[in-house]
Amino acid sequence: MKVFHGILVALLLALVGGVQAADTLTQITGDVPAPDFTLQDTNGKTHRLSDYRGKPVIVNFWTTWCPPCREELPSMNRAWHQLEHEGVAMLAINMGEDEDTIFVFSADYPTDFPVLMDQSGEVIEQWPVKGLPTTYVVAPDGSIAYRAIGSREWDDKALLDKVRALK
Amino acid sequence: MSGLIEKVVIAGTLICGISMPLLVDAEVLRSSNEENGLEKWHFIAGDIEIELVQRLPDQTRALFMQHEFSREVVEGLATSCMFQTIIRNSGKSGTGQPVSIDLTRWRMQHAGKVSGIQLKEPLIESWSDADASPAAKLVVRWGMFPTRQEFLPGDYNWGLTAYAIPPGAQFDLEVNWKEDRILRSGEIRDIVCAPDVDRLK
Repeated sequence: MKVFHGILVALLLALVGGVQAADTLTQITGDVPAPDFTLQDTNGKTHRLSDYRGKPVIVNFWTTWCPPCREELPSMNRAWHQLEHEGVAMLAINMGEDEDTIFVFSADYPTDFPVLMDQSGEVIEQWPVKGLPTTYVVAPDGSIAYRAIGSREWDDKALLDKVRALK
Repeated sequence: MSGLIEKVVIAGTLICGISMPLLVDAEVLRSSNEENGLEKWHFIAGDIEIELVQRLPDQTRALFMQHEFSREVVEGLATSCMFQTIIRNSGKSGTGQPVSIDLTRWRMQHAGKVSGIQLKEPLIESWSDADASPAAKLVVRWGMFPTRQEFLPGDYNWGLTAYAIPPGAQFDLEVNWKEDRILRSGEIRDIVCAPDVDRLK
């Protein structure tokens, strides 16, 4: 069964293999406040977005069954290892799945940053998300500074420098 | 000459407010994945790129069987001619124009009949709680392509589009989009739904 699952994952990734990840972030103009949320992570810890006020926060919406989401997770983890001691936060919000599903998935796609669970989909509905993955960079003042629709190479220096510059 | 015609059509569209789309010459590349045999149609017109990749019904069954759908709903989805769909604005950041799509305007022609494509909203609304749990509905809500979306240069999105015709069927698809506030349209001909057999090599 695991072999079949692996083949299926590889096949789905191959299907979107033609998509090249752009290393760009779209700047959001005007003062667009990031909708606040309170969610638990997979370790049971509660995170409130507004508690991160004062530092840039990368907020990523994803699911395990979304091929481009899987595609960008390794680079997000590499980016996190660069950013975690630089005063930048990273929160990945899984949409609609339970802890067990994410736990099994994390064996193949380990992440060291907090993975939050939005099982009912209530939080994602508050954000202007159209498709998955979508990632926002929230500025220290709580406004949305950048948006990325689709996967990115998150450890790209130019991309991370934009995030760092928000500090 | 064609540039003049385009300008006249654009001016007419702006002045009269007519919503008739501007027919655009597009490049459509058809290819086949050497590893799995699945076919892809890649539509390129200006800054918009649309990719339709065949999905085997078994792939769709595998995706939806993991969630709380009734067997009938899974089978209905699996045999509704789904394509992995990727839409991208390949314009350059800073100089490119936003591109927007509205799937309610897309038209398909199959067996001599013109119709719209399957949209996710009526599909989800048609299901009772016994057909699909709220969590399962979220999978379709976020797994199928957004009905309307704007793409800034560099943006792309992926999702499933469905055409509600049998596996193996062939159809033509008129796609349209807005770029620089002008409604444009192009055609992808002879698209083939993946057959309901295991074609994996």
